[in-house]
Amino acid sequence: MRRLKNIWVFADKASSLAELCAGGRQLGENVAAVVLGGEETARQAIEQGADQVYWLGLKAEDKMLEDYTRTIAGLLEKHRPELFLLNAGRRTKVVAGRLAALFATSAITDAMQFVIGENGDLQIARLVYGGLAIRLEKPLSAMAIATVGNGVFKAAADGSNRQGTVTEVPWVEDGCRLKLLERRARDTEPVDLAAAARVVGVGRGIGKEEGLAMVYALARQLKAEVACTRPLAEGEKWMSPERYIGVSGTMIKPDMYLALGISGQIQHMTGVNKARVIIAVNKDINAPIFEQSDYGLVGDLYKIIPALLKSRL
Amino acid sequence: MKVIVCYKIVPEEANIEINQDGSLSFANAEWKLSQYDLNAVEAAMQLVEAVGGSVTALTVGDQKIENSKLKKSILARGPEDLYLVKDERLKRADTHLTAAVLAAAVAYIGFDLVLCGEGSSDFYAQQVGIQLGELLQVPVINAVSKITPAGDRLIIERTLEDEIETLELSLPAVLAVTADINVTRLPGMKEILAAGKKPVTEWDLHKIGIRHAGPRVEEVSTLAPEQVARKKILVEGDSEPKIAEFLDYIRKELK
Repeated sequence: MRRLKNIWVFADKASSLAELCAGGRQLGENVAAVVLGGEETARQAIEQGADQVYWLGLKAEDKMLEDYTRTIAGLLEKHRPELFLLNAGRRTKVVAGRLAALFATSAITDAMQFVIGENGDLQIARLVYGGLAIRLEKPLSAMAIATVGNGVFKAAADGSNRQGTVTEVPWVEDGCRLKLLERRARDTEPVDLAAAARVVGVGRGIGKEEGLAMVYALARQLKAEVACTRPLAEGEKWMSPERYIGVSGTMIKPDMYLALGISGQIQHMTGVNKARVIIAVNKDINAPIFEQSDYGLVGDLYKIIPALLKSRL
Repeated sequence: MKVIVCYKIVPEEANIEINQDGSLSFANAEWKLSQYDLNAVEAAMQLVEAVGGSVTALTVGDQKIENSKLKKSILARGPEDLYLVKDERLKRADTHLTAAVLAAAVAYIGFDLVLCGEGSSDFYAQQVGIQLGELLQVPVINAVSKITPAGDRLIIERTLEDEIETLELSLPAVLAVTADINVTRLPGMKEILAAGKKPVTEWDLHKIGIRHAGPRVEEVSTLAPEQVARKKILVEGDSEPKIAEFLDYIRKELK
Protein backbone atom coordinates (compact mmCIF):
# COMPACT_ATOMS: atom_id res chain seq x y z
CA MET A 1 0.00 0.00 0.00
CA ARG A 2 1.23 3.49 -0.81
CA ARG A 3 1.59 5.89 2.06
CA LEU A 4 0.57 9.45 2.79
CA LYS A 5 3.29 11.95 3.63
CA ASN A 6 2.11 13.48 6.85
CA ILE A 7 -0.37 12.18 9.40
CA TRP A 8 -1.30 13.80 12.70
CA VAL A 9 -2.98 12.04 15.60
CA PHE A 10 -4.73 13.03 18.83
CA ALA A 11 -6.46 10.92 21.48
CA ASP A 12 -8.09 11.36 24.87
CA LYS A 13 -6.96 7.95 26.13
CA ALA A 14 -3.44 6.52 26.41
CA SER A 15 -4.42 3.21 24.79
CA SER A 16 -6.00 5.03 21.83
CA LEU A 17 -2.97 7.26 21.40
CA ALA A 18 -0.77 4.15 21.11
CA GLU A 19 -3.13 2.66 18.50
CA LEU A 20 -3.31 5.88 16.47
CA CYS A 21 0.48 6.38 16.52
CA ALA A 22 0.88 2.84 15.19
CA GLY A 23 -1.88 3.43 12.63
CA GLY A 24 -0.18 6.64 11.54
CA ARG A 25 3.02 4.66 10.92
CA GLN A 26 1.15 2.17 8.73
CA LEU A 27 -0.50 4.87 6.65
CA GLY A 28 2.07 7.66 6.55
CA GLU A 29 5.75 8.45 6.20
CA ASN A 30 5.76 10.98 9.02
CA VAL A 31 3.59 10.90 12.15
CA ALA A 32 3.03 13.80 14.51
CA ALA A 33 1.10 13.38 17.76
CA VAL A 34 -0.68 16.13 19.65
CA VAL A 35 -0.49 15.11 23.30
CA LEU A 36 -2.52 16.46 26.17
CA GLY A 37 -1.09 14.91 29.33
CA GLY A 38 2.07 14.42 31.31
CA GLU A 39 5.62 14.58 29.96
CA GLU A 40 5.80 10.80 30.24
CA THR A 41 2.83 10.45 27.86
CA ALA A 42 4.51 12.80 25.39
CA ARG A 43 7.69 10.70 25.45
CA GLN A 44 5.70 7.49 25.12
CA ALA A 45 4.04 8.78 21.95
CA ILE A 46 7.47 8.69 20.29
CA GLU A 47 8.00 5.07 21.37
CA GLN A 48 4.53 4.32 20.02
CA GLY A 49 5.34 5.68 16.59
CA ALA A 50 5.32 9.50 16.54
CA ASP A 51 8.20 11.39 14.92
CA GLN A 52 7.18 14.70 16.42
CA VAL A 53 5.15 15.38 19.53
CA TYR A 54 3.32 18.66 20.03
CA TRP A 55 2.85 18.72 23.75
CA LEU A 56 -0.05 20.73 25.16
CA GLY A 57 0.94 19.96 28.76
CA LEU A 58 -1.29 18.55 31.47
CA LYS A 59 -4.97 19.36 31.07
CA ALA A 60 -5.88 22.30 33.33
CA GLU A 61 -8.46 21.47 36.03
CA ASP A 62 -10.91 24.15 34.87
CA LYS A 63 -10.75 23.17 31.22
CA MET A 64 -12.40 20.46 29.18
CA LEU A 65 -10.59 18.53 26.48
CA GLU A 66 -12.83 20.31 23.97
CA ASP A 67 -11.34 23.66 25.05
CA TYR A 68 -8.11 22.72 23.26
CA THR A 69 -9.78 22.70 19.81
CA ARG A 70 -8.47 26.11 18.72
CA THR A 71 -4.99 25.24 19.96
CA ILE A 72 -5.03 22.10 17.80
CA ALA A 73 -6.51 24.06 14.89
CA GLY A 74 -3.56 26.46 15.05
CA LEU A 75 -1.11 23.58 14.74
CA LEU A 76 -3.01 21.99 11.85
CA GLU A 77 -3.24 25.33 10.07
CA LYS A 78 0.54 25.71 10.26
CA HIS A 79 1.54 22.14 9.36
CA ARG A 80 -1.30 21.08 7.05
CA PRO A 81 -1.16 17.28 7.35
CA GLU A 82 -3.09 15.20 4.80
CA LEU A 83 -4.88 13.29 7.51
CA PHE A 84 -5.77 14.05 11.13
CA LEU A 85 -6.86 11.05 13.18
CA LEU A 86 -8.66 11.13 16.53
CA ASN A 87 -10.01 8.24 18.57
CA ALA A 88 -13.77 7.84 18.42
CA GLY A 89 -15.22 9.18 21.66
CA ARG A 90 -17.89 11.69 22.61
CA ARG A 91 -15.38 14.43 23.44
CA THR A 92 -13.16 13.79 20.44
CA LYS A 93 -16.21 13.92 18.15
CA VAL A 94 -16.75 17.49 19.34
CA VAL A 95 -13.12 18.34 18.62
CA ALA A 96 -13.33 16.64 15.20
CA GLY A 97 -16.57 18.41 14.27
CA ARG A 98 -15.39 21.83 15.35
CA LEU A 99 -12.13 21.35 13.45
CA ALA A 100 -14.08 20.21 10.39
CA ALA A 101 -16.11 23.42 10.52
CA LEU A 102 -13.00 25.56 10.99
CA PHE A 103 -11.35 23.92 7.96
CA ALA A 104 -14.58 23.84 5.90
CA THR A 105 -14.61 20.07 5.58
CA SER A 106 -16.46 17.00 6.88
CA ALA A 107 -15.13 14.72 9.58
CA ILE A 108 -15.55 11.00 8.96
CA THR A 109 -16.47 9.33 12.24
CA ASP A 110 -16.06 5.78 13.55
CA ALA A 111 -13.71 4.85 10.72
CA MET A 112 -13.07 1.10 10.60
CA GLN A 113 -10.59 0.84 7.73
CA PHE A 114 -8.25 3.04 5.72
CA VAL A 115 -7.23 2.25 2.14
CA ILE A 116 -4.71 4.16 0.06
CA GLY A 117 -5.07 3.50 -3.66
CA GLU A 118 -2.31 3.19 -6.28
CA ASN A 119 -2.73 6.86 -7.14
CA GLY A 120 -2.34 7.83 -3.49
CA ASP A 121 -6.06 8.45 -2.96
CA LEU A 122 -7.27 7.87 0.55
CA GLN A 123 -10.53 5.99 1.15
CA ILE A 124 -12.13 5.47 4.53
CA ALA A 125 -14.69 2.78 5.45
CA ARG A 126 -17.42 3.12 8.07
CA LEU A 127 -20.63 1.29 8.93
CA VAL A 128 -23.95 2.82 7.91
CA TYR A 129 -27.67 2.03 8.22
CA GLY A 130 -27.33 0.59 11.68
CA GLY A 131 -24.48 -1.70 10.72
CA LEU A 132 -26.15 -3.05 7.59
CA ALA A 133 -23.49 -1.94 5.16
CA ILE A 134 -19.97 -0.61 4.85
CA ARG A 135 -19.73 2.73 3.14
CA LEU A 136 -16.44 3.62 1.53
CA GLU A 137 -15.87 7.37 1.44
CA LYS A 138 -13.24 9.48 -0.25
CA PRO A 139 -12.32 12.78 1.40
CA LEU A 140 -12.15 15.58 -1.15
CA SER A 141 -10.48 18.21 1.05
CA ALA A 142 -6.72 18.83 1.33
CA MET A 143 -6.83 17.65 4.94
CA ALA A 144 -9.07 14.73 5.91
CA ILE A 145 -10.31 14.43 9.50
CA ALA A 146 -11.43 11.07 10.88
CA THR A 147 -12.27 9.53 14.23
CA VAL A 148 -11.14 5.91 14.51
CA GLY A 149 -12.86 3.09 16.39
CA ASN A 150 -11.09 1.20 19.17
CA GLY A 151 -8.99 -1.69 17.92
CA VAL A 152 -8.89 -0.62 14.27
CA PHE A 153 -5.12 -0.23 14.61
CA LYS A 154 -2.90 -2.35 16.81
CA ALA A 155 -0.43 -0.59 19.09
CA ALA A 156 3.23 -1.22 18.24
CA ALA A 157 4.99 -3.83 20.38
CA ASP A 158 8.25 -2.15 21.30
CA GLY A 159 9.58 1.17 20.13
CA SER A 160 11.96 1.99 22.95
CA ASN A 161 14.75 2.78 20.45
CA ARG A 162 12.67 5.29 18.46
CA GLN A 163 13.77 8.93 18.27
CA GLY A 164 11.63 12.02 17.98
CA THR A 165 11.18 15.61 19.04
CA VAL A 166 8.88 17.12 21.66
CA THR A 167 7.69 20.70 21.18
CA GLU A 168 5.74 22.48 23.89
CA VAL A 169 2.66 24.30 22.63
CA PRO A 170 0.89 27.06 24.61
CA TRP A 171 -2.93 26.98 24.97
CA VAL A 172 -4.87 29.33 22.74
CA GLU A 173 -8.13 30.95 23.96
CA ASP A 174 -10.98 28.82 22.67
CA GLY A 175 -13.84 30.91 21.33
CA CYS A 176 -17.16 30.02 22.96
CA ARG A 177 -16.30 28.06 26.05
CA LEU A 178 -18.79 26.38 28.30
CA LYS A 179 -18.28 26.75 32.04
CA LEU A 180 -17.50 23.52 33.82
CA LEU A 181 -19.47 23.40 37.08
CA GLU A 182 -19.06 19.82 38.15
CA ARG A 183 -17.69 16.51 37.00
CA ARG A 184 -18.47 13.15 38.54
CA ALA A 185 -17.70 9.57 37.64
CA ARG A 186 -20.51 7.48 36.15
CA ASP A 187 -21.47 4.46 38.17
CA THR A 188 -21.41 2.23 35.10
CA GLU A 189 -18.44 0.05 34.43
CA PRO A 190 -16.48 0.97 31.34
CA VAL A 191 -17.29 -1.31 28.43
CA ASP A 192 -14.86 -2.14 25.66
CA LEU A 193 -16.56 -4.61 23.36
CA ALA A 194 -14.05 -4.02 20.56
CA ALA A 195 -11.18 -5.33 22.67
CA ALA A 196 -13.01 -8.26 24.31
CA ALA A 197 -11.73 -11.78 23.58
CA ARG A 198 -15.12 -13.27 24.37
CA VAL A 199 -18.53 -11.66 24.16
CA VAL A 200 -21.91 -12.88 25.38
CA GLY A 201 -24.73 -11.12 23.56
CA VAL A 202 -28.29 -11.04 24.81
CA GLY A 203 -31.46 -10.23 22.90
CA ARG A 204 -35.17 -9.89 23.36
CA GLY A 205 -35.51 -13.65 23.82
CA ILE A 206 -34.40 -13.21 27.43
CA GLY A 207 -37.95 -11.95 28.00
CA LYS A 208 -37.52 -10.14 31.31
CA GLU A 209 -34.94 -7.93 32.96
CA GLU A 210 -34.41 -10.35 35.86
CA GLY A 211 -33.06 -12.84 33.33
CA LEU A 212 -30.00 -10.67 32.82
CA ALA A 213 -28.52 -11.73 36.18
CA MET A 214 -27.80 -15.23 34.92
CA VAL A 215 -26.43 -13.82 31.67
CA TYR A 216 -23.95 -11.67 33.60
CA ALA A 217 -23.06 -14.65 35.76
CA LEU A 218 -22.37 -16.76 32.68
CA ALA A 219 -20.29 -13.97 31.16
CA ARG A 220 -18.23 -13.73 34.34
CA GLN A 221 -17.63 -17.45 34.25
CA LEU A 222 -16.55 -17.28 30.61
CA LYS A 223 -14.47 -14.13 31.27
CA ALA A 224 -16.58 -12.48 28.60
CA GLU A 225 -17.92 -8.95 28.08
CA VAL A 226 -21.72 -8.59 27.82
CA ALA A 227 -23.34 -7.06 24.73
CA CYS A 228 -26.95 -6.71 23.66
CA THR A 229 -29.22 -5.98 20.73
CA ARG A 230 -30.71 -2.59 20.08
CA PRO A 231 -34.19 -3.22 21.59
CA LEU A 232 -32.66 -4.12 24.95
CA ALA A 233 -30.69 -0.87 25.13
CA GLU A 234 -33.02 1.55 23.39
CA GLY A 235 -36.50 0.07 23.76
CA GLU A 236 -36.38 -1.61 27.15
CA LYS A 237 -33.41 0.40 28.44
CA TRP A 238 -32.30 -2.66 30.41
CA MET A 239 -28.69 -2.18 29.37
CA SER A 240 -26.47 0.82 28.65
CA PRO A 241 -26.14 2.04 25.06
CA GLU A 242 -22.41 1.24 25.15
CA ARG A 243 -23.34 -2.43 25.19
CA TYR A 244 -25.41 -2.74 22.07
CA ILE A 245 -24.16 -3.84 18.71
CA GLY A 246 -25.96 -2.10 15.89
CA VAL A 247 -26.39 1.47 14.81
CA SER A 248 -23.41 2.91 16.66
CA GLY A 249 -21.10 1.09 14.29
CA THR A 250 -19.50 -1.27 16.74
CA MET A 251 -17.90 -4.16 14.94
CA ILE A 252 -16.51 -6.69 17.37
CA LYS A 253 -13.95 -9.40 16.65
CA PRO A 254 -13.86 -11.73 19.64
CA ASP A 255 -12.62 -15.30 19.59
CA MET A 256 -16.13 -16.37 20.62
CA TYR A 257 -19.54 -14.77 20.38
CA LEU A 258 -22.33 -16.45 22.33
CA ALA A 259 -25.75 -15.13 21.28
CA LEU A 260 -28.56 -15.73 23.78
CA GLY A 261 -32.13 -15.09 22.65
CA ILE A 262 -31.00 -13.11 19.61
CA SER A 263 -32.99 -13.63 16.44
CA GLY A 264 -30.20 -12.53 14.12
CA GLN A 265 -31.37 -9.21 12.74
CA ILE A 266 -29.07 -8.18 9.94
CA GLN A 267 -27.51 -5.08 11.56
CA HIS A 268 -26.59 -7.06 14.64
CA MET A 269 -25.07 -9.89 12.63
CA THR A 270 -22.89 -7.50 10.63
CA GLY A 271 -21.52 -6.26 13.93
CA VAL A 272 -20.46 -9.77 15.01
CA ASN A 273 -19.43 -11.04 11.59
CA LYS A 274 -15.74 -10.98 12.50
CA ALA A 275 -16.07 -13.29 15.50
CA ARG A 276 -14.04 -16.50 15.06
CA VAL A 277 -16.81 -18.72 16.43
CA ILE A 278 -20.49 -17.83 16.74
CA ILE A 279 -22.63 -19.89 19.10
CA ALA A 280 -26.37 -19.28 19.35
CA VAL A 281 -29.11 -20.32 21.73
CA ASN A 282 -32.67 -19.53 20.72
CA LYS A 283 -36.05 -21.15 21.26
CA ASP A 284 -37.13 -20.57 17.68
CA ILE A 285 -35.64 -23.09 15.26
CA ASN A 286 -36.41 -20.71 12.38
CA ALA A 287 -34.45 -17.81 13.88
CA PRO A 288 -32.13 -16.45 11.16
CA ILE A 289 -29.22 -16.49 13.60
CA PHE A 290 -28.82 -20.26 13.19
CA GLU A 291 -27.96 -19.71 9.52
CA GLN A 292 -25.04 -17.57 10.64
CA SER A 293 -23.77 -19.58 13.58
CA ASP A 294 -21.20 -22.31 13.93
CA TYR A 295 -23.11 -24.02 16.72
CA GLY A 296 -26.74 -23.62 17.65
CA LEU A 297 -28.95 -24.98 20.39
CA VAL A 298 -32.72 -24.77 20.09
CA GLY A 299 -34.41 -24.44 23.46
CA ASP A 300 -35.42 -22.48 26.54
CA LEU A 301 -32.83 -19.98 27.80
CA TYR A 302 -34.08 -20.42 31.35
CA LYS A 303 -33.17 -24.11 31.21
CA ILE A 304 -30.04 -23.80 29.13
CA ILE A 305 -28.21 -20.87 30.79
CA PRO A 306 -28.39 -22.47 34.29
CA ALA A 307 -27.12 -25.71 32.73
CA LEU A 308 -24.22 -23.87 31.09
CA LEU A 309 -23.41 -22.22 34.43
CA LYS A 310 -23.42 -25.58 36.17
CA SER A 311 -21.19 -27.15 33.54
CA ARG A 312 -18.36 -24.67 34.33
CA LEU A 313 -17.49 -24.34 30.65
CA MET B 1 -37.00 31.23 24.24
CA LYS B 2 -36.90 30.67 20.51
CA VAL B 3 -35.86 27.08 19.86
CA ILE B 4 -35.16 25.53 16.46
CA VAL B 5 -35.11 21.74 16.16
CA CYS B 6 -33.29 20.17 13.23
CA TYR B 7 -34.45 16.83 11.89
CA LYS B 8 -33.56 14.48 9.06
CA ILE B 9 -35.58 12.21 6.81
CA VAL B 10 -34.07 8.71 6.61
CA PRO B 11 -35.07 5.33 5.16
CA GLU B 12 -36.53 2.78 7.61
CA GLU B 13 -33.35 0.76 8.17
CA ALA B 14 -35.21 -2.43 9.09
CA ASN B 15 -36.68 -2.57 5.57
CA ILE B 16 -33.53 -1.99 3.56
CA GLU B 17 -32.76 -5.14 1.60
CA ILE B 18 -29.48 -6.53 0.38
CA ASN B 19 -29.19 -7.37 -3.31
CA GLN B 20 -27.28 -10.39 -4.61
CA ASP B 21 -24.23 -8.22 -5.34
CA GLY B 22 -24.18 -6.74 -1.83
CA SER B 23 -25.66 -3.41 -2.88
CA LEU B 24 -28.69 -2.09 -1.01
CA SER B 25 -32.29 -1.91 -2.15
CA PHE B 26 -34.47 0.83 -0.68
CA ALA B 27 -37.56 -0.21 -2.67
CA ASN B 28 -39.45 -1.36 0.44
CA ALA B 29 -37.94 1.12 2.88
CA GLU B 30 -40.33 3.93 3.71
CA TRP B 31 -38.89 7.33 4.58
CA LYS B 32 -39.31 8.36 8.19
CA LEU B 33 -38.19 10.95 10.73
CA SER B 34 -34.79 9.96 12.06
CA GLN B 35 -35.41 8.36 15.43
CA TYR B 36 -32.96 10.36 17.57
CA ASP B 37 -34.26 13.68 16.27
CA LEU B 38 -37.57 12.91 18.00
CA ASN B 39 -35.77 13.23 21.34
CA ALA B 40 -34.56 16.69 20.29
CA VAL B 41 -38.14 17.71 19.45
CA GLU B 42 -39.37 16.44 22.80
CA ALA B 43 -36.56 18.26 24.64
CA ALA B 44 -37.46 21.49 22.83
CA MET B 45 -41.15 21.10 23.72
CA GLN B 46 -40.38 20.45 27.40
CA LEU B 47 -38.10 23.49 27.53
CA VAL B 48 -40.65 25.82 25.99
CA GLU B 49 -43.43 24.39 28.15
CA ALA B 50 -41.27 25.32 31.16
CA VAL B 51 -40.08 28.82 30.24
CA GLY B 52 -42.31 29.92 27.37
CA GLY B 53 -41.29 30.68 23.81
CA SER B 54 -41.64 28.84 20.54
CA VAL B 55 -40.36 25.74 18.79
CA THR B 56 -39.65 25.77 15.06
CA ALA B 57 -38.76 22.64 13.09
CA LEU B 58 -36.20 22.72 10.29
CA THR B 59 -34.98 20.20 7.77
CA VAL B 60 -32.84 20.38 4.64
CA GLY B 61 -32.72 17.91 1.76
CA ASP B 62 -34.00 17.00 -1.68
CA GLN B 63 -37.66 16.65 -2.70
CA LYS B 64 -38.25 13.81 -0.21
CA ILE B 65 -38.57 16.32 2.65
CA GLU B 66 -41.80 17.57 1.06
CA ASN B 67 -43.63 14.32 1.88
CA SER B 68 -46.84 15.60 3.50
CA LYS B 69 -47.13 12.72 5.94
CA LEU B 70 -43.66 13.50 7.29
CA LYS B 71 -44.37 17.22 7.52
CA LYS B 72 -47.49 16.45 9.54
CA SER B 73 -45.63 13.92 11.61
CA ILE B 74 -43.01 16.44 12.79
CA LEU B 75 -45.54 19.25 13.38
CA ALA B 76 -47.85 16.92 15.32
CA ARG B 77 -45.10 16.54 17.87
CA GLY B 78 -45.47 20.17 18.88
CA PRO B 79 -43.44 22.68 16.80
CA GLU B 80 -45.56 25.65 15.78
CA ASP B 81 -44.05 26.04 12.33
CA LEU B 82 -41.76 24.31 9.88
CA TYR B 83 -39.01 25.43 7.50
CA LEU B 84 -37.78 23.29 4.63
CA VAL B 85 -34.67 24.06 2.61
CA LYS B 86 -35.17 22.01 -0.53
CA ASP B 87 -32.60 21.61 -3.27
CA GLU B 88 -31.66 18.64 -5.42
CA ARG B 89 -28.01 19.38 -4.71
CA LEU B 90 -28.70 18.31 -1.12
CA LYS B 91 -29.55 14.74 -2.14
CA ARG B 92 -26.08 13.48 -1.24
CA ALA B 93 -25.17 16.19 1.23
CA ASP B 94 -22.33 15.31 3.59
CA THR B 95 -22.12 16.63 7.15
CA HIS B 96 -20.26 19.76 6.04
CA LEU B 97 -22.85 20.78 3.46
CA THR B 98 -25.77 19.92 5.77
CA ALA B 99 -24.28 22.00 8.59
CA ALA B 100 -23.51 24.91 6.25
CA VAL B 101 -27.09 24.96 4.92
CA LEU B 102 -28.57 24.68 8.42
CA ALA B 103 -26.29 27.51 9.61
CA ALA B 104 -27.56 29.80 6.88
CA ALA B 105 -31.18 28.81 7.52
CA VAL B 106 -31.15 29.24 11.32
CA ALA B 107 -29.48 32.64 10.90
CA TYR B 108 -32.41 33.65 8.67
CA ILE B 109 -35.05 32.27 11.04
CA GLY B 110 -33.43 33.63 14.24
CA PHE B 111 -32.94 31.55 17.40
CA ASP B 112 -31.83 31.36 21.01
CA LEU B 113 -31.19 27.64 20.95
CA VAL B 114 -30.79 24.98 18.26
CA LEU B 115 -31.36 21.36 19.29
CA CYS B 116 -30.20 18.33 17.31
CA GLY B 117 -30.42 14.59 17.93
CA GLU B 118 -27.32 12.60 18.81
CA GLY B 119 -26.90 11.36 15.24
CA SER B 120 -29.00 10.36 12.24
CA SER B 121 -30.20 6.77 12.22
CA ASP B 122 -28.88 6.23 8.66
CA PHE B 123 -25.27 7.48 8.73
CA TYR B 124 -24.90 8.31 12.43
CA ALA B 125 -21.88 10.54 11.95
CA GLN B 126 -22.87 12.61 15.04
CA GLN B 127 -21.30 15.62 13.39
CA VAL B 128 -23.90 18.02 12.01
CA GLY B 129 -24.83 19.69 15.32
CA ILE B 130 -21.21 20.21 16.29
CA GLN B 131 -20.20 21.64 12.93
CA LEU B 132 -23.31 23.83 12.94
CA GLY B 133 -22.39 25.38 16.31
CA GLU B 134 -18.85 26.12 15.23
CA LEU B 135 -20.02 27.64 11.94
CA LEU B 136 -22.38 29.89 13.91
CA GLN B 137 -19.59 30.67 16.42
CA VAL B 138 -21.80 29.92 19.40
CA PRO B 139 -21.28 27.48 22.31
CA VAL B 140 -21.84 23.90 21.10
CA ILE B 141 -21.71 20.54 22.86
CA ASN B 142 -22.96 16.97 22.42
CA ALA B 143 -24.17 14.13 24.67
CA VAL B 144 -26.58 16.45 26.52
CA SER B 145 -28.76 14.34 28.81
CA LYS B 146 -30.50 17.10 30.81
CA ILE B 147 -31.31 20.76 30.15
CA THR B 148 -32.26 23.17 32.95
CA PRO B 149 -33.05 26.79 32.12
CA ALA B 150 -31.38 29.37 34.42
CA GLY B 151 -32.36 32.88 33.40
CA ASP B 152 -30.59 33.78 30.18
CA ARG B 153 -28.36 30.75 30.52
CA LEU B 154 -28.72 26.98 30.53
CA ILE B 155 -27.34 24.43 32.95
CA ILE B 156 -26.84 21.13 31.19
CA GLU B 157 -25.80 17.65 32.12
CA ARG B 158 -23.61 15.77 29.73
CA THR B 159 -23.25 11.99 29.80
CA LEU B 160 -19.86 10.85 28.58
CA GLU B 161 -18.35 7.36 28.39
CA ASP B 162 -17.21 7.32 32.00
CA GLU B 163 -18.30 10.58 33.60
CA ILE B 164 -21.12 13.07 33.88
CA GLU B 165 -20.43 16.76 33.52
CA THR B 166 -22.51 19.71 34.60
CA LEU B 167 -21.93 22.74 32.40
CA GLU B 168 -23.24 26.27 32.16
CA LEU B 169 -23.57 28.06 28.86
CA SER B 170 -24.88 31.29 27.49
CA LEU B 171 -27.39 31.60 24.67
CA PRO B 172 -27.49 31.45 21.71
CA ALA B 173 -26.14 27.91 21.58
CA VAL B 174 -26.37 24.58 19.75
CA LEU B 175 -26.86 21.33 21.67
CA ALA B 176 -27.00 17.69 20.56
CA VAL B 177 -29.10 15.65 22.99
CA THR B 178 -28.81 11.95 23.82
CA ALA B 179 -31.41 9.34 22.92
CA ASP B 180 -32.24 8.88 26.61
CA ILE B 181 -32.74 12.53 27.57
CA ASN B 182 -36.49 11.89 27.54
CA VAL B 183 -39.26 9.55 26.45
CA THR B 184 -40.95 10.93 23.36
CA ARG B 185 -44.70 11.45 23.38
CA LEU B 186 -46.83 9.95 20.63
CA PRO B 187 -49.02 12.61 19.03
CA GLY B 188 -52.78 12.09 19.34
CA MET B 189 -55.46 12.57 16.69
CA LYS B 190 -55.99 16.20 17.80
CA GLU B 191 -52.31 17.03 17.32
CA ILE B 192 -52.20 15.30 13.95
CA LEU B 193 -55.22 17.24 12.70
CA ALA B 194 -53.81 20.55 14.01
CA ALA B 195 -50.47 19.81 12.33
CA GLY B 196 -52.04 20.15 8.87
CA LYS B 197 -52.91 23.81 9.61
CA LYS B 198 -49.48 24.92 10.85
CA PRO B 199 -47.40 27.19 8.59
CA VAL B 200 -44.73 25.61 6.40
CA THR B 201 -42.12 27.76 4.67
CA GLU B 202 -40.08 26.37 1.81
CA TRP B 203 -36.77 27.86 0.73
CA ASP B 204 -34.12 26.88 -1.77
CA LEU B 205 -30.35 27.36 -1.39
CA HIS B 206 -30.43 30.60 -3.37
CA LYS B 207 -32.94 32.12 -0.97
CA ILE B 208 -30.62 31.60 2.03
CA GLY B 209 -27.58 32.87 0.15
CA ILE B 210 -25.79 29.62 -0.65
CA ARG B 211 -24.27 29.40 -4.12
CA HIS B 212 -21.71 26.64 -3.80
CA ALA B 213 -23.11 23.39 -2.52
CA GLY B 214 -20.25 20.96 -2.96
CA PRO B 215 -19.62 18.06 -0.58
CA ARG B 216 -16.20 17.44 0.99
CA VAL B 217 -16.65 13.68 1.06
CA GLU B 218 -17.58 11.48 -1.89
CA GLU B 219 -19.30 8.12 -1.59
CA VAL B 220 -17.25 5.43 -3.33
CA SER B 221 -19.48 2.46 -2.55
CA THR B 222 -22.01 1.19 0.00
CA LEU B 223 -22.04 -2.58 0.26
CA ALA B 224 -23.16 -5.16 2.78
CA PRO B 225 -20.11 -7.02 4.06
CA GLU B 226 -19.79 -10.63 2.98
CA GLN B 227 -20.92 -12.93 5.75
CA VAL B 228 -18.30 -15.42 6.89
CA ALA B 229 -19.27 -19.04 6.08
CA ARG B 230 -20.33 -20.78 9.30
CA LYS B 231 -20.51 -24.44 10.29
CA LYS B 232 -24.25 -24.30 11.08
CA ILE B 233 -24.22 -27.30 13.44
CA LEU B 234 -27.62 -27.34 15.13
CA VAL B 235 -28.68 -29.26 18.24
CA GLU B 236 -32.44 -29.37 18.70
CA GLY B 237 -33.91 -29.51 22.19
CA ASP B 238 -33.03 -28.53 25.73
CA SER B 239 -33.07 -31.94 27.42
CA GLU B 240 -29.98 -32.87 29.44
CA PRO B 241 -28.42 -35.11 26.77
CA LYS B 242 -29.01 -32.44 24.11
CA ILE B 243 -27.37 -29.75 26.25
CA ALA B 244 -24.48 -32.16 26.92
CA GLU B 245 -24.06 -32.73 23.19
CA PHE B 246 -24.01 -28.97 22.61
CA LEU B 247 -21.48 -28.51 25.42
CA ASP B 248 -19.17 -31.07 23.83
CA TYR B 249 -18.98 -29.00 20.67
CA ILE B 250 -18.31 -25.81 22.57
CA ARG B 251 -15.68 -27.35 24.83
CA LYS B 252 -13.74 -28.56 21.79
CA GLU B 253 -14.00 -25.17 20.17
CA LEU B 254 -12.91 -23.18 23.21
CA LYS B 255 -10.01 -25.44 24.15
